[in-house]
Amino acid sequence: MAGILSYGAYIPMWRMSRDEIAKSIGSASLGGERAVVSWDEDSLTMGVEAGLDCLTGFQPKEIDGLYFATVSSPFKEKQSASLVASILDLRKDIFTFDFTGSLRAGTLAVKSASDAIKAGTMKKVLVIAADARKAQPRSDAEQTFGDGAVALLLGEGKDPIAEIEDFSTIIDPIPGPWRREEDLYPKVFDGRLDTRYGLLKDIPQAVGNLLKKHSIQAKDISKFAFYGPDARSHTAIAAPLKIDAKSQMQDLLFKSVGVTGTAHCLLLLVAAMEQAKANERIVCASYGEGSDALLIKATDKVEQAKGKHKGTKYIASKKMISSYGRFLAIKKEIDVGWPEWEKSSVVKYWRDESWLLPLYGMKCNKCGALQYPVRRVCTNCGEKDNNVKVKLARKGKVFTFTHDYLLGPGNFTGDGINPTSRVLIDLEDGCRIWMEMTDHEIEEVNIGTSVELTFRLLHQKSDFLFYGWRARPVRQSI
Amino acid sequence: MPESLRDKVAVIGTGITKFGEHWEEDAGDLIVDAVNDACKEANIDLRKDTDALWVSTLYDWSGMSGWAAAEPLKLFGKPVTRVENQCASGMDAVRNAAYAVAAHRYDIVIACGVEKVLDQGGRGLSQEILYWHPSLPWQSAPAYFAPCAIRAFKEWGWTREDLAKVAVKNHQNGAKHPKAHFRREITIETVLNAPMISYPLTLFDCCALSEGAAAVVLTRPEIAKRLVGDKYATIKGMALAVETQWPYFKPGWTGLSFAATVRAAEDAYKEAGITNPRKELDFGIVHDCFTITELMTYQDMKLCKPGEGAELIRAGVTAIDGDFPINPDGGLKCFGHPVGATGVRMIAELTKQVLGRAEGCQVKDAKMGFAHNLGGPQAIAAVGIVGRPG
Repeated sequence: MAGILSYGAYIPMWRMSRDEIAKSIGSASLGGERAVVSWDEDSLTMGVEAGLDCLTGFQPKEIDGLYFATVSSPFKEKQSASLVASILDLRKDIFTFDFTGSLRAGTLAVKSASDAIKAGTMKKVLVIAADARKAQPRSDAEQTFGDGAVALLLGEGKDPIAEIEDFSTIIDPIPGPWRREEDLYPKVFDGRLDTRYGLLKDIPQAVGNLLKKHSIQAKDISKFAFYGPDARSHTAIAAPLKIDAKSQMQDLLFKSVGVTGTAHCLLLLVAAMEQAKANERIVCASYGEGSDALLIKATDKVEQAKGKHKGTKYIASKKMISSYGRFLAIKKEIDVGWPEWEKSSVVKYWRDESWLLPLYGMKCNKCGALQYPVRRVCTNCGEKDNNVKVKLARKGKVFTFTHDYLLGPGNFTGDGINPTSRVLIDLEDGCRIWMEMTDHEIEEVNIGTSVELTFRLLHQKSDFLFYGWRARPVRQSI
Repeated sequence: MPESLRDKVAVIGTGITKFGEHWEEDAGDLIVDAVNDACKEANIDLRKDTDALWVSTLYDWSGMSGWAAAEPLKLFGKPVTRVENQCASGMDAVRNAAYAVAAHRYDIVIACGVEKVLDQGGRGLSQEILYWHPSLPWQSAPAYFAPCAIRAFKEWGWTREDLAKVAVKNHQNGAKHPKAHFRREITIETVLNAPMISYPLTLFDCCALSEGAAAVVLTRPEIAKRLVGDKYATIKGMALAVETQWPYFKPGWTGLSFAATVRAAEDAYKEAGITNPRKELDFGIVHDCFTITELMTYQDMKLCKPGEGAELIRAGVTAIDGDFPINPDGGLKCFGHPVGATGVRMIAELTKQVLGRAEGCQVKDAKMGFAHNLGGPQAIAAVGIVGRPG
């Protein structure tokens, strides 16, 4: 039997008030707020963050596979999983796969990983689900969607925090949502049709089959972590299954996060596990052209995971986006002149991938100086080709800084309003690193400010996406 | 043992175009003006008398070659070399030209520099690429230096007002220089209230990208006497130092001193036989690309101790009538910084000062002074010392 060895999550820093959206476009507000990726984040970078959170306390080299689920991959053709694996410093002989095309991709990835573990072809598989879906401005989805990521480490290990007892699945060729090759935004013909004949039929059927198979009553389940496209539809799933919506339905996180696509029911599963006690059962169910249901039972090890991961504590760590205009800009719905760096080189990026992505520095074997970036000759003593790569700390303090109003990605070059803060950081291991800040307000940056590194999109060039590390103020409330 | 350049090379002619926006001229037109003015002052015929020429220009980054000057001047069949060493390009052209004369390979040579940014599609303040690697930050030039100001504020209690005083002083001087780009006096409030460029540097803490050309004619003193009598200056020392282009990543970097300047100053002072620059020199022209750079340079050029740079500007020591005038010409603050031209112009300004020809901004009884260029992220420094012969 496969079990869950660890979990992690990531919710971006930014929130947009639904009242503010509604006020700006003259529509009705669905209340609360939604999580929004920064301009330099996408499903891949969020997936990295969730993966790092999940792997806290685990050796990345022990992982045999990485499954990445998303319907908002930064590349239509190019695997995200292999890139995420490199960033997370996993081995190169592992099995990686992108699950996509359906909002069920997250649970399908969990199912496949679990099957592989049961079959004995892999021992530990990291499953990451992340979505930052684009919503047509002025559409309902603009309010209902949220951005976020979740990660589960599955394995045969002796001490899972939860056992994955079983799966059941139902497929259902309901029309939506869909997105053609040339579409930017997912479409739904009529959400009411989808909810009535899809969601409210498929989840109860998949879950009902699972409970029936194991002769378990709904009342014996402590939490149901169900996908839902909006708060009202979500609550409606409870009735046919005879679930007490108040006590048994895991909160949809609609008021605080929004619906995070393929990640969402797994995110709710993590939220449930964060509260679960030993031997409690959780049922997690996705929805998308059908439904997958997972029956999960917490073990006494579930207590040990509590407090070890950031998980849904990310939700309380937030900053509000000040206006609808800025929301559209940060979601790249309006062209604010996102900079391209004319000198950027895919070749250089490829050549140095081994230390750029997992963030290694080098330590000189002669003088001992820890330094970044990795080069052949030591910048301190001049020793040639005599150094070791060292994984760098991802926390530190600001030594000095500036706010560059003239040039930089993340703001609108030369507009004189939104500067890029640049910080020189003394990492906890003593390495000096010069980085751009993100997710911050100018007032937060000072000598001595505590920062942590975060994996982001750096810039685009030649229609290629260049990823790397930035610094952010240590996320509060975590 | 390396030999010293001291008094072996004479500057006999200088040419400086007006610095500013030259919409109606191209780089070649500016070179033609600067070089011909320098030849006229040197009493030489460009085609007949010049043996070799060095030209410095930064843009278009690469591929410019010696044609940058040979083509517009139609100076063919001679050795013409393009020099590029970031913001120190101009002075490095002079340095290389001087060595050729001192080595007796050539008798009369020209060093010139030009920059024409309007023709590059560029605009306003410099936007540069620092690390040449797609995963390392790229940033504006002021953001190279602003973090140093933050450290100086923290360590020494310097303030934005101290920085502003540098701009005010240089604008006072430059207002009187006929060739300067910006000829308007400003106040401390002008600087403090200007738009922020790279915190804590505002628009007026920064020099502008400008356009212009400058040229100097170099020869040996015995030839100089024949051509211009005693109206020549001699080079006392020229040094260049290249430090890391990744200073922020360097372990132990403080932001309180620019290693390239320190090293180039030591070398140039040694070559010139100077042990106490504050006493033995009369003035200096420093690379005030940003106001913080000028204050740091006071220290790195050993005019005062570390931390005392702001005291020099507060006490008026570096004013044109002070104990040690700095940037009597108005500096980069008033000339802008046409990268290739700047260093050459500085050597021309030193020459004019020691010959008493610095109209409008003459330092009283200037016998010997230094010029200083600093390029990239404090990575490349050139120092030249020019004085009256002997």
